Amino acid sequence: MLNRLKWIMLAAFFSCVMLISGCAEKKQLEKLGLSTAVGYDLEKENHIRGTVVIHKFDPLAKNLTEIITVEANTSKTLRQKQNLETDQKLVSGQLRCVIYSKELAKKGIVQLVDALNRDPTIGNTVYLTVTDGKASTIMNMDKENQKIDLGTYLYNLIKQNVESEQLLLPTLFEFNHRYNDHGKDPVLPILRIKNGNVILSGVALFQDDRTVAELKGDNIFYLKILSDKFKSGTHEMGFDRSRFKKLIMNQEGNAFRTVYKKLFLNIDNIRSNTKIKLVDKKNLRFKVAIKLQSRLLEATEPLDLANPANIEYIEKVVGKEMEKEIKKLLIFFQKNKVDPIGIGNEYIAHNRGKMLTKKEWRDKYKDVKFDVHVQNTIVKTGVID
Amino acid sequence: MKVNLHPKESLLFNAFQLIFIIHSVQVGVGVVGLPKIVFLETKHDAWIVVFFAGVLTSVILWFMIVMLRQYDSADFYGIHVDVFGKWLGNFLSFGYIIYLIACFFVIFMNYTEIVQVWIFPKLPTWQLAFILILLAVYAVHGGIRVIVGVSFLSVIGTLWIILVLFVPLRYADFTHIYPIMNVDIKHMLKGIQRTSLSIMGFELIMFVYPFVKEKHRALLYVQIGNLFTTFTYTLVTFISIVFFAEDGLSKVIWPVISMLKIVRLPNLERFEFIAVSFWMLVILPNLCLYLWASSKGFSRIIKRTQKMGIWIIAIVAFGASFFVKARYQMNMVTDLVAKAGFYAAFCYPVVLSIIVYLKKWLARRKKSHVKSA
Repeated sequence: MLNRLKWIMLAAFFSCVMLISGCAEKKQLEKLGLSTAVGYDLEKENHIRGTVVIHKFDPLAKNLTEIITVEANTSKTLRQKQNLETDQKLVSGQLRCVIYSKELAKKGIVQLVDALNRDPTIGNTVYLTVTDGKASTIMNMDKENQKIDLGTYLYNLIKQNVESEQLLLPTLFEFNHRYNDHGKDPVLPILRIKNGNVILSGVALFQDDRTVAELKGDNIFYLKILSDKFKSGTHEMGFDRSRFKKLIMNQEGNAFRTVYKKLFLNIDNIRSNTKIKLVDKKNLRFKVAIKLQSRLLEATEPLDLANPANIEYIEKVVGKEMEKEIKKLLIFFQKNKVDPIGIGNEYIAHNRGKMLTKKEWRDKYKDVKFDVHVQNTIVKTGVID
Repeated sequence: MKVNLHPKESLLFNAFQLIFIIHSVQVGVGVVGLPKIVFLETKHDAWIVVFFAGVLTSVILWFMIVMLRQYDSADFYGIHVDVFGKWLGNFLSFGYIIYLIACFFVIFMNYTEIVQVWIFPKLPTWQLAFILILLAVYAVHGGIRVIVGVSFLSVIGTLWIILVLFVPLRYADFTHIYPIMNVDIKHMLKGIQRTSLSIMGFELIMFVYPFVKEKHRALLYVQIGNLFTTFTYTLVTFISIVFFAEDGLSKVIWPVISMLKIVRLPNLERFEFIAVSFWMLVILPNLCLYLWASSKGFSRIIKRTQKMGIWIIAIVAFGASFFVKARYQMNMVTDLVAKAGFYAAFCYPVVLSIIVYLKKWLARRKKSHVKSA
C-alpha cells in the first residue's frame, strides 16, 4: 500500500514538472531581437527619443543589425513602440551599452537608470555613456560598413580602455553605487564621432544625476589616480627646457635639433597608491597622499640618466608638477560641486552620530581644503639609460 | 498524550546531523533580504548586529537544550502538556502549530515571488507553490530520516554559493563600514528583532530532539550549526554593506540576489538565474521540517495519523496561497510571521524553559522534603 502510494506520488510529481514547465514563456533565439545598445535623446519637454540597435540571428537577413527610432515618455513605452516596428520580439538581456545625449544628461538621467535597475533581465554590467551630440546620430552612423553591431563595438571599446586603465569603470552598477553614496558622484565616459568612428573623447562629471562638467585628456589620468589603485597608464608632461639644462646631454657629432619648444617627458605609471585622509575635522582639511611608481618611457631630448642624482631631480620635478595639476583638478571639482573621488565618503566614515545627507555634504564640500603630496619614484628607465 | 516520545531505534538519527538540520532550517528565504532589513534599522553596523543576533540565538539554544534535558525524551508538545495540563497545553500547542504552518506558507510564497520577479514574470503563483508543496509532502512522507537527508544534501549542495559571494568584494568600498559601532542600543535591539525571519528555524530542535540518538551531545552540534549560520549571515551582511551604497541597499528588495548579478562567467551572462534556482535546494529542508513539525503536532494532539496531518496542512497552505496577490500583501504577511517568529522562537522558549526548570526544581524539593520527613 505504502509502496503504491509512493509510486503514484512520484508519477504525479514528474508529470507536474513536465506539464508545468511548458507553461513558462518560450523564447526561441531566432524569433528574438536582442537589443545590444540603446540611446536616449531629449526630443522636447516630456518627450524622449529612443533608438535601439538590434542584433538578429536570422541567417537569411543581410543586415544583422537593425536600428529603430521612436519617441515616447518612458523607456518602456519606447520598447513597446519599437516592438511594433520589428518582426522579432525585442528583449534586453544582451544589452551592452546605453547612450544618453548630453542634453538629456544635463537635465538628469536617474529616471531612465531607474528603469534599467527595475528590470531583472538587464545585467549589472551594462555600460552607461554620454554623447556630445545626439545618441541617434551615433547609432545611425554608417550602417553598411559595420561588421559587428554597435553595441558590441561600444562594449569592446569601453572594456578595452577600462582594462588598459584609461577609464573608470562606467557600469550600471558603478553608476548606482556612486549615485546612491552620500559622498560620491558618478562619472561616465563621453562618446564622439570622429572620422566615421565612435571614439571616447572625455569624461562627464555628474552632480547627482546631472552632468555639470567635463574632463579631457590629462585630467582623466589624475582622476583615475585619485579614484582608485591603478596599474598602468601613460602620461605626458611638458617642461621649460631651462629646468633641465643640466641633465640634457651634449651629444657630440649629432646635430642638435629642437623640434619642440618645450621638453616633454612621458611617464608610464606602474603602480599608484592614493590615500585620502581627513586630518582636521573642524577645518575640513584633507591630506591627499599619492605614491607613484613610474617608468620613464620617452623624453624628447637626450637626458643623462646614468647619474642617480639626475633621476632624483626628475622625480622631484615631476612630482611637483603633478601636485600642482592635482590641486588644480581638486579645486575644479570643488568649483563645479562634484565629488567623483569620494572625499565625502571619507568624511562620513570619520563622523560619528547622524549620517550626513547628500545636501549637507555638498554644503560642506565648498570649504574643504586639500594638502596634496605626491611621492614619485622612477623605478625604471626602459632598456637604455 | 504521553509526555515522552520513544521512537523506534530505526527512526533515530545521529547527533552530528543536527549541524545540518539547524543550519539548513535557519538559512532560507529570509537571508536574501536580511542585509537590507537590518540595514534599515541599524545602518552600516548591520553586520555587527547580525553577529549579536547569532550569539543571542546560541544562548536561546542553550536554554532549549537545558529544558529538553529535564525530560527523558520529550518534545515540545509533550512538555506543554506536562507543564500546563491537557487543555491549556494543547491549546498553546495548537497556537504553535499555526505559527509553524504560517512559516511553511511564508517560505514557499516568498520563494515563488523571487522566481516570479527574477525569472518567470508570468508564472502563476499556484503552479510553483503546488510543486514545492508536493515536493515537501513527498519528503515528509518518508519520515524524519529522509528529511535529515534532505537537509544534509541541501547544505552540502549549496555551500559553494558562499564562495561566489567573494566576487562582489572586488567592487567593494570599505569606507562604508566606518565609523564602526555608530548605532545606539535602541536601534540595535530593533535590528536584532528584525533578523528573526532569517535566524528562526532553530526552534525546531524542540521537535526533533526525541529522534536524536546521542542526546547528551545534542547541545554541541546544535551550537556548531548555529555558529555556522551566524558566520554566514555576518559575512553576507558585511559584503552587502561594502558592496552597496547607503541609499542603494535600502532600495533593493533582495540584496543578496542583486549582488550576485555582478558575477559573470564567460559562458554564463547572468549568474543570479543559477542562484535563484539553487535557492530551491536551500528552502526545501525548511519546508520539509516545518511541515513535519506541524503535522507531528497534529498527530500528537488529535491522535490521528501524521499522514493525514500532512495532507490537511498542505491543502490549507495551498488554498491560502490564492489569497495573497500583490507584493505589499506578501510583505505584510511576511512581516507578521517575522514578528510572530521573534516571540515564538526567541522569547517563548526561554520563558517555557524557566517554567519547566522551576517546576522540576519544586518537584525535586518536594520529594526530598517527603523523604526527610
